[in-house]
Amino acid sequence: MDTMMQSIKRAQVDWRMVLMSGVLVVIALVFNILSDGIFLSAENLYNIAQQTAVVGILATIMVLIIVTRHIDLSVGSVLGFVGVLIAYLMYTENWSWQAASLAGLAAAIAAAVYQGALVAFVGVPAFVVTLGGLMSFRGAAYLVADGKTQPLSDPFFLKLGGGFNGGIGTQASWIIGAVLCVGLIVSMVAKRRAKKAYGVPTNSALVDTVIVLIPIAIVLAFVAVMNAYQIPNKPEPQGIPIPVLIWGAVALVISFLVHKTRFGRYIFAMGGNPDAAALVGIPVRKVTILLFLLLAVLTTIAAIVAISRLNAGTNSLGNNLELLVIAATVIGGTALAGGSGTIIGSVLGALIMQSIDSGMLLLDISIGTRYIIIGQVLIAAVVFDVAYRKWTGDVL
Amino acid sequence: MNTSSNTAAVASAKRAVDPSKCLVELRNIKKAFGGVHAVDDVSLNLYPGEVVAVLGHNGAGKSTLMKMLAGAYPIDSGDVVISGEKVHVRTPADAQNLGIESIYQTLALADNLDSVANLFLGRELLTKWRTLDDHRMDAEARKVFHRLNKNFTNVRIPVRRLSGGQRQVVAISRAIYFNAQILIMDEPTAALGPEETAMVGNLIQQLKAEGVGIFLISHDMHDVFALSDRLSVMKNGKLVGTYRTQDVTEDEVLGMIILGKQPTGKTQTERPAR
Repeated sequence: MDTMMQSIKRAQVDWRMVLMSGVLVVIALVFNILSDGIFLSAENLYNIAQQTAVVGILATIMVLIIVTRHIDLSVGSVLGFVGVLIAYLMYTENWSWQAASLAGLAAAIAAAVYQGALVAFVGVPAFVVTLGGLMSFRGAAYLVADGKTQPLSDPFFLKLGGGFNGGIGTQASWIIGAVLCVGLIVSMVAKRRAKKAYGVPTNSALVDTVIVLIPIAIVLAFVAVMNAYQIPNKPEPQGIPIPVLIWGAVALVISFLVHKTRFGRYIFAMGGNPDAAALVGIPVRKVTILLFLLLAVLTTIAAIVAISRLNAGTNSLGNNLELLVIAATVIGGTALAGGSGTIIGSVLGALIMQSIDSGMLLLDISIGTRYIIIGQVLIAAVVFDVAYRKWTGDVL
Repeated sequence: MNTSSNTAAVASAKRAVDPSKCLVELRNIKKAFGGVHAVDDVSLNLYPGEVVAVLGHNGAGKSTLMKMLAGAYPIDSGDVVISGEKVHVRTPADAQNLGIESIYQTLALADNLDSVANLFLGRELLTKWRTLDDHRMDAEARKVFHRLNKNFTNVRIPVRRLSGGQRQVVAISRAIYFNAQILIMDEPTAALGPEETAMVGNLIQQLKAEGVGIFLISHDMHDVFALSDRLSVMKNGKLVGTYRTQDVTEDEVLGMIILGKQPTGKTQTERPAR
């Protein structure tokens, strides 16, 4: 038993993530009972996954922004501005979706360079810069199409937001699931080999097997559920919705940046101790600008998903989105003091928030009550975060 | 101690050291913050294998002077000459490329990262794919930490959970792993217990024997007299004087620090005793 405990300790399991996953499971079970089994139906789970994608995509990058002790309050407005611009170029100006999307990306990059330069080079607090951006870009979103709704009709483009034709089908879903599983196994084997080669202590084979089997089980279960959902008048089940696929790819890429590149390492160093980061020669300004550029790319992706989900671009697109994104990030265990946060946490945070909201919707709870409860969930998450850090000694 | 065998991966090869040749010359260095002359026309030099203590009250300008040498502050005017060559130290990276390493009073560690990440911060080892070579860094770090403290094995937890001594091991490792030729130590023993202070003392002796030149900023008179070859005292941004440590008494040093008064009958020196 003692050796078991030892090996668990050495495996550096992130107990916070385990606990959050547990919370998510409990939420799902409770709503499932209250809703007489509707909550855990394939249809509902499919919808939750699809509805969470926009918030989830932005939450992955918001983690990094908050880790560096910045914040972005303008993300909803910039998304609205970029989204309406893309829709306007396609509908009113008859641009192709590719050209319109690139133009949207250019606009997002211009916004990011402007705001990022004020933060990185002038030293204006990101809170102030992006609070201004919150208002200005909302105004810009209105000006693009003079407040008129811009409907979308390109059949391929509409798939990007999910919806009726937005699943990739059962076969492709299983292939993606299988590739992910093989990838997990290969990376674990490679990790064990590298550790052995350098004489770094490794986990026991049993512990590593468990560590790799859990995500494999989750991936396969996810694919099975998405493949189980069939829209009544369609011949085929849906499979993984494209927006969720995009979200997953984004989360993987950002996780890779965090764990495997200097950029990710520097982001965390800057958040942990900005003075130390400068003293050891980290190019703090360059990293900050790069971070805002990455934010621009992800905002554009999220904007494309959002307008194609809505089948239109409107000037109110992304209203209050920044609050949901920051809430998902915080519920996911990212500390506003900086230096601490995980991408997987943001995924769980976004899912927890959307699950509670969808669950209450199923139970016909009024919008007022729902807002009250979601707000208090956010506070509960931060209270838990403070208590957890005291308990582990990781006081910020 | 053999630093070079463990650091074969690091590009900077150890330069041949000529003990009679000046390692660092700071010539007429000036720095003002707003209207305040933090460092006013200060000249100092350092020879290989020598420890020069830099003394003075808080605000005397000693940390500012050292931070300029480390590339953390730009120099207003004056020259930095390293091994006979005039150089420009504009950023911490410039200083590191010249073999200048600093150990700061505040330790300059990222508290949320582990010891391995902190050791290599800013100079990570990369794979051929330009990604972080985590396992190689882990193995290299364990070697260098082990040399300084045999009991230090929990190298993968955030450094905020480490003791003061362990944190100091990480900070010092940054200097020795990358083959410092010139080491700036700002209050290296301020946060340490007696055993760890002795460890730092031993380390300084070892580095001296390898020909490393050390600037030691300290308030601790015991450390200064035990470790330094020469001492320079600053007051209000100006240099009061530089003397061989063996030539002056503690009272005379305190007189220089507090009153800015040069001791009578003692000659200043630009060179260590040989």
